[in-house]
Amino acid sequence: MMKELSQRLLGPVTFALLALTIWLGLWVTPPDKVQGNLVRLLYVHPAVAWVALYVSFGTATIASCLYLWKRTRSWDMDRIAHCAMEVSVVFIILTLITGSIWGRPTWGVWWAWDARLTSTAILGVLALGYLALRRANDDPTLRAKRSAVFAIVSAINVPIIHFSVQWWKTLHQGATVFTSNRQLLVHGSMAWTLLISFVGFTLLFFWLLRARYRLEVERDAAYRAAFDEAVSLRQREGVL
Amino acid sequence: MPSTETSELSPVAPPKSPSRSRWRSVGVLVVLGAAIIVLLSQGILHSLNYFETVDQALAQRSSLGTKVIRLEGVVKPGSISRTSNGASFVITGSKDRQVFVDAHGSPPQLFQADIPVVVVGHFTSSTSLDFEGTQILVKHTATYIAAHPKRVKAPNGTTR
Amino acid sequence: MIRIAWLVAKKDLRIEARSRVLLWQVVPFGAMALLLTGLALGPAHAGNSSAGPGLFYLVMLFVALLMINRSQVLESTPGTRASIATLGLDPAGVFLGKTLALCVELWVTGLVLLAGTVLVLHTALHGAFLALPSVLVTLGALAAAGTLYGAMTAGGEGAATLLPVLCLPAFAPLLIAGERAFSAALTHGGLWEWWVIVVVALVAYVGVGILLYGVLEES
Repeated sequence: MMKELSQRLLGPVTFALLALTIWLGLWVTPPDKVQGNLVRLLYVHPAVAWVALYVSFGTATIASCLYLWKRTRSWDMDRIAHCAMEVSVVFIILTLITGSIWGRPTWGVWWAWDARLTSTAILGVLALGYLALRRANDDPTLRAKRSAVFAIVSAINVPIIHFSVQWWKTLHQGATVFTSNRQLLVHGSMAWTLLISFVGFTLLFFWLLRARYRLEVERDAAYRAAFDEAVSLRQREGVL
Repeated sequence: MPSTETSELSPVAPPKSPSRSRWRSVGVLVVLGAAIIVLLSQGILHSLNYFETVDQALAQRSSLGTKVIRLEGVVKPGSISRTSNGASFVITGSKDRQVFVDAHGSPPQLFQADIPVVVVGHFTSSTSLDFEGTQILVKHTATYIAAHPKRVKAPNGTTR
Repeated sequence: MIRIAWLVAKKDLRIEARSRVLLWQVVPFGAMALLLTGLALGPAHAGNSSAGPGLFYLVMLFVALLMINRSQVLESTPGTRASIATLGLDPAGVFLGKTLALCVELWVTGLVLLAGTVLVLHTALHGAFLALPSVLVTLGALAAAGTLYGAMTAGGEGAATLLPVLCLPAFAPLLIAGERAFSAALTHGGLWEWWVIVVVALVAYVGVGILLYGVLEES
C-alpha cells in the first residue's frame, strides 16, 4: 500500500519540488550581496553536481559491488548500475555546463584547469567509457562483470573530486553545504531554496532511474520474444 | 625447446576457495582505496594548486623570478584605479603583505574591492614586488548573503 | 602465482622476440610521433625543453595503447582463453606475467624515446638520466593499468577503439605525475611527492589487477 503510494507520488512530488525551486529561485529569493542575480545558479548547479557525483555515480558503484558479490548477484543489480550510470552521464554533463555558465560571469572564464574542474571532466569521460564498454560486449555475464569492475575502479575519482577543494587551492569555491566546520554558509530563504533544490533533483534522479529501468526491462523482454520467435520460425522451416 | 615448455605446463593446484579469496580481495581493495585517499589528504602535491597566495609568493620571491604564475590575494579597498589598458590595484595576503598589480584587459563583472582574485602574470623584475597581470579571475567564496539583509529571515527565525 | 607469471611473461616476450612487432612497428611509430611533436611546436619552440617531459609521456601513452592492444591480441587467438581456464592457471599469475612482459616492452620503447627526446627536443641529458628511475616506475604502473584495462576490452566489439576511451582518463594521473617528476629532475627540484604518487599507482593497479583480473576473464 505504502509502496504503491510512493510509486505513484514520485513523479508529481518531483515535479512539484522542482517547480517550487524555480519559483523560489527566480522570484522569491533575494539577489546576493556580491553576485547579484548570478546567485540563482546556486539552486541548480550544486544540486545537479550532488546527483551526478554522489547519488547516481554512487548508486551505480554500489549496484556494481552488489553484482560482483556472489550472494547479492542478480541481473537487477547489473541493470540498476547501467541505468544509474546513464543518468550520471547526463548529470555530469549538466554539472559542467551549468558550472561553465556560472564561471564565465563570476570568475571571468568558461573553464579553468583547477583540480575540481579537471577531475570532474575526467569522471565524465570515465562514465562515457563505462557506457561504451557495455556496448562492446555481447555476452551478458562478461559485460556485467567487466563493467562492474570498471565502475568500481573509476569510483576512486569521486572522493578525489569531493575533497579536491580542500586538498588543493582551487579557483572553484570550497564546500557550500558540507563544510568542514558544519556551518552553512548560505543565509535565509536562500538556504531553504537550496535544500529544496537538493531534494527535488535527488527525486528527479530516482524518477529518471525508474523510467530508464522499466525501459530496460521492456527492451530485454522484447529481445527475448524476438529471439524465441526467430527460433520457432527456424524450427517450422525445419532448419533446426 | 618444446619439451621443457610442455613440462612447465603440468597441472597446477586449483585456486583457493573462492569465498575466502573474495573476502580478502574486498579487504585489500578497501585498504588500497583508503591508502590513496589518506596520502592525497596529507597535503602533498602542492603543484596541483591552481594558484600561489600572496604570502606563498613573497616567501619564495627569489626562486619565482619573473616566471608566469597565478597569484591570489584580496583586492585592497580604495586601491583600484583604471589605467589606459586595464586596471591597477593592490592585493593583500595575511598581515600587511601586499603586491601591486598592473593588469591588462578588462576585469570580470564581479571585480571589486575586498574580493579575492587570482591574477595570471609575472613579477616585473626578479626583485620587485610589482606584478604585471595578463588576466584577472575573481575567486568567489562559498558565502551567500542577501543584498538587502534586513528583508531576509534566517531558518531559525532571526533576521540577519 | 609467481611461477605462472614467469611462464606467461616468458611466453609473451618470446612471441615478441620472434615476431618483432615492437621493433619494426611500435618503435618507429613512437619515433615518428616524437618528430611530429617537434614539428607541432614549430621551429621556435622545438628546441625548448620545458615541454619535453610532457610530450615524451604523451607519445609514450599512445605507444602504450598500441602495445596493450597487441598484448591482448596474443591472448585472443581461438582457444587460448579456454585452455587457460581448463588448465586452471591462476588469473592473478596471468595478470602479473602479462604486466611484466608489457613492462619490459614499455621500458625498451621508453629508453629509445627518452633518447629521442634528448636528441630532438633538446631535453638536458643529465636531467633525463636523473628522471630515468621515475620513468621506469611510471611505465611499470602504465603496464599494470594497461593490462587491466586491456583485459576489460579484450575480445569485445571494436576492442582497439574502445581501449583508449577506457585507458586515457585512468592514465591522466600517471601522465601528470610522470611529467612532474621528469620536470623536477630537469630543474633539480623536489621529486619525492611525485614518486609517492607513481609508486602508489603502481601498487594500486597491481593490487587491483591481481584481485580482479580473474573476474574480467570468466563468463
